[in-house]
Parts: sequence; C-alpha cells; structure tokens
Amino acid sequence: KRTTTGKIAIEGMTCNSCVNTIESQVGSYTGIHSIKVSLASREAVVEYNSELIELEQIKDAIEDMGFDASIKF
Amino acid sequence: IQTYEFKVEMTCEGCSGAVTRILTKKLGADANFNVDLAAQKVTITSDLSQDELTEMLKKSGKAVTYIGVQ
Repeated sequence: KRTTTGKIAIEGMTCNSCVNTIESQVGSYTGIHSIKVSLASREAVVEYNSELIELEQIKDAIEDMGFDASIKF
Repeated sequence: IQTYEFKVEMTCEGCSGAVTRILTKKLGADANFNVDLAAQKVTITSDLSQDELTEMLKKSGKAVTYIGVQ
C-alpha cells in the first residue's frame, strides 16, 4: 500500500470547527488515508496514496475552503 | 445581476473569515457580498447563477441553504 505522508501549513484556522471541517472535507477525498489537523501548530499531517492524489491537490482543496495553505514537505 | 441570500453554518470568526476569503478569491476583490456571522447569513450580489454560488459556498465544507432572492 503506497502511503505517503505530507505536511501542509494552514493559516486562518481559529477554532475547532474549522479543524473538523477540514478533516471531514479533505478526509472524504479519494486517496486520503488520514488527515490530522493541529490548531496549535497550524498545520495538517496527511497520509495519502500518491497514485490517487497529489499533495498539491490537497493544498488546493484546503485553499478552496478559504484557508491559506502551503506545502511543508 | 441578482442579490441572493444563503444561510451558512458558521460557528466562529475563522469560519466567517474562510467564507469571506473564498468569495473574495472566486468573485474578485471588488465583489459585492456580505458575510454576517451573527445571523449566519451570506448575501451575494452577482450575475452568477444561484447554484454556481451555492457550489462555491459548499466548497467551504459548511452547511449551505439557499434562502432566496432579496
């Protein structure tokens, strides 16, 4: 199972409901195995299948949700 | 050009900020819209269709209900 781990910095989250929204929305995308968003460190750790989805697409999805996202690695 | 009203479940500043950023990014800086966190309402004046706007708001991952035209 090809699982890659990526980390995305997310600006603009202020409460837990933002965290839940991102986790439930991005978590539902094909190829996403898990996503853990941390409000404190303002970033998300994502485990995904790089054959089904690219980290760039995940970052774009988070930006589509109105947050400023940038790929850390 | 129509003014559409939507009910959008926003629980905090961050959520209303996110909706504002989406609309600014998609409709452009001079877009004509208002995000009312207290009333959980978003009003948008645009020539886009109501379902295009609904789709745009739904991308925020929040519950969106179309109220009507002002």
